[in-house]
Amino acid sequence: MHARSLAPMDRRRFLGLSAGALGAAAVSGCALSVANGAGRDPVTVMASDGDFPPEMVQQAAEELDIRIDLVKYDPTRLTAMLASGQPPDLVRGLGALDTPYLVARDVAEDLDPYFAGSSILKADDLDPVNDLWRFDGQRQGAGPRYGMAKDFSQDSMFWYNRALFEQAGVDDYPPDDEPLTYEEWLDLGKRVVQQDGGRTTVYGMSCNGLSPVGNLMAITAAAGGSLFSEDLGRVDFSTPEARQALSWYLEYVQARVGPSLIDPDPNVWDGPTYQANRMAMSGNGYWFGGMVGGSSPEIATASRLAPAPVFAGKPRVSTCQAGTGFWMPRKAPHKDTAWRLFEWYMGEGPAQGRASGGWGIPTLKSLRSLMPGEQPFQEQSLRVQNAELEYFSVLSFTPYVRSTALDAVFNQVMPAAMRGDMSLDAAIGRLNDDMNHQMDLGKELVP
Amino acid sequence: MTVEEIRVASDRPARARRASGAAAAPRTSRMTTKRHRAFYMFTAPWLVGFVLLTAFPMGYALWLSFTNFDAVSPHWHFVGLENYREALSDPLTRQSLGRTLLFTLISVPMTMIGGLILAVLVNRPLRARGLFRTLLYLPAVVPPVGTALTFKLVFDTNAGAANGVLDAFGMNAVTWLADPYARYVILMSVLWALGNTMIISLAGLQDIPRELQEASRIDGASAWRSFRSITLPLLSPVLLFQGVTGVIGALQTFMPLLLAADSSPAGTTSVPQDNYMYMINVFAQYFAYGRFGYASALLWILFAVIIAFTALIFKATSGAVFYNVDPEAKK
Repeated sequence: MHARSLAPMDRRRFLGLSAGALGAAAVSGCALSVANGAGRDPVTVMASDGDFPPEMVQQAAEELDIRIDLVKYDPTRLTAMLASGQPPDLVRGLGALDTPYLVARDVAEDLDPYFAGSSILKADDLDPVNDLWRFDGQRQGAGPRYGMAKDFSQDSMFWYNRALFEQAGVDDYPPDDEPLTYEEWLDLGKRVVQQDGGRTTVYGMSCNGLSPVGNLMAITAAAGGSLFSEDLGRVDFSTPEARQALSWYLEYVQARVGPSLIDPDPNVWDGPTYQANRMAMSGNGYWFGGMVGGSSPEIATASRLAPAPVFAGKPRVSTCQAGTGFWMPRKAPHKDTAWRLFEWYMGEGPAQGRASGGWGIPTLKSLRSLMPGEQPFQEQSLRVQNAELEYFSVLSFTPYVRSTALDAVFNQVMPAAMRGDMSLDAAIGRLNDDMNHQMDLGKELVP
Repeated sequence: MTVEEIRVASDRPARARRASGAAAAPRTSRMTTKRHRAFYMFTAPWLVGFVLLTAFPMGYALWLSFTNFDAVSPHWHFVGLENYREALSDPLTRQSLGRTLLFTLISVPMTMIGGLILAVLVNRPLRARGLFRTLLYLPAVVPPVGTALTFKLVFDTNAGAANGVLDAFGMNAVTWLADPYARYVILMSVLWALGNTMIISLAGLQDIPRELQEASRIDGASAWRSFRSITLPLLSPVLLFQGVTGVIGALQTFMPLLLAADSSPAGTTSVPQDNYMYMINVFAQYFAYGRFGYASALLWILFAVIIAFTALIFKATSGAVFYNVDPEAKK
């Protein structure tokens, strides 16, 4: 009897305590959310590790009252999110290669109305590199803006390490104000490479760009041509300019002076190899200066930036192969909040931080004054870079296929030619056939 | 007790059951229902997992294989059997399948024989036998990614230990991570995980009654004859298991092939030609080329190949595998 009369009391007490606990949890949860910027819709950002460091996420919460849900940049995951109709609000991308593909498939949001209403990202303050994020259906560099670069470089420029030149007994450094020709650059690479019993102890140079096809687009542009037809619907490596570019690249590979598909660098990219004092010249633009600055003081002191090479008698062209930045998917759930974050990231504190860090040229002209120039290598690279800006131009990529598909074809076809098992003509034929087949398949998916 | 008495005694419980049969019928029915319910409750987690994580994705991939879906464009459409037709005529796919079959033909017997030899060795009464077993099995515990990274560093042309050894003997460096040497590095990485097959063979060896070996020795059989006529037949079910799972695993090889490449969509296509095997092609078709429909067709073709190979192995070994169980119990 006694026990039975107590039972309802216990339940009440239990329910009361539970409600109290839930209430307390809710209150503390709210407090936590507010501290993390839950005042607005949370913004899901797909970015690489260094794009949004934890302190920047915290800063966004405090300054903008926006909570950032970070998703690590992963093309496979992005594909899955797009396919499921639940994309992130902002996505990292390469303006130079991604824009036409995304626009042709109706996936990217037209940001012109947002730019028009922005007091931070003003049209006349935008660097021309941001035109990489424009596409009018016919060519890149015109039409609406679908994204913006966070920083950029002219990626055919190259860094060199004077100490390694001295080690090789070479004292004619690349000039600051006049570009080398591609032939001179390769010749220099052959002179500074250090080999021992079949092992390359110091690479003479590296010329692989950010992607194989992006790299060849840039070299072909330097030769005065284009890889793509006027309507961007075909690839043609048999034009004299594309052929010259491919032939030079094959010569570079066969000279065994730098990493390539048949002589891979296990580091996969130049950064760690350059920092290890094992690369005399690295084909990377101004942004690589951030990496140089993070190297040992000896390497930083010995490093210099050189203009993008040219082909003799051809106009000087210095392109951007990436234009890394962010775009907003059309089906992004929180567009307005995402745009506020976009504005802040591209034009306020984070943009100023990037500009002064030396990791690329700021994409707002008004931030150029923040670029670092204290150390000798920074002063020299800034001077060379500023002189290079006038040769910038936007190259159009095809909308019919993703750049990785063309890279994949290149990776499949070229090793045989690099080893000398396939003639240049045969390689050109295979590249044209296989790449154009991919583009034909892509055309079925574009209205 | 006579035979008749035994028969009557043994028949007693059955008669008793028949007598109480009518009354027990509802109870039996309830028991059966309860058992069925318990069965489904216990198997439900697996069934749900199977439906959601295996059956549904397979069905979805089958559906995709009849489309030109690229996961991005809304303008995809059905293409019927076109993806399958293309797969069967695509040189890239045929070559990658050919390489994979060759790799399977070499790597599976190599690991089975290597594992068996190691198992026989560490099954002998050696001093520090446990230590040897542990050391030999240890590499198999290393995750495939770790193995790939280690091999990448060891076989780096310019700074790797392998070329350091060659250098010490006055030999020229070799570009291990590119054609034509990359295939040997992959085979070495397969041998690296030999501990897996060793441990299974060892378990099989320890299950063989020692008396049989001793009897054969007393009868004058040599060690080889004893191994061939006693050990191998009794180990054959274990070897069959290793063969089937080995073939399935080899046909799906992916991670070890990314030795000198990064795992980005385009990076996977920069693996040396000799290592551009079927699953690399599937991954590339999905994520580098963005051809989800075609890649799904490739997966279904691989599924068919695996089924065919498995059936072939069972058929080919049907008379050679010795199951040490009562034939009636097998039914």
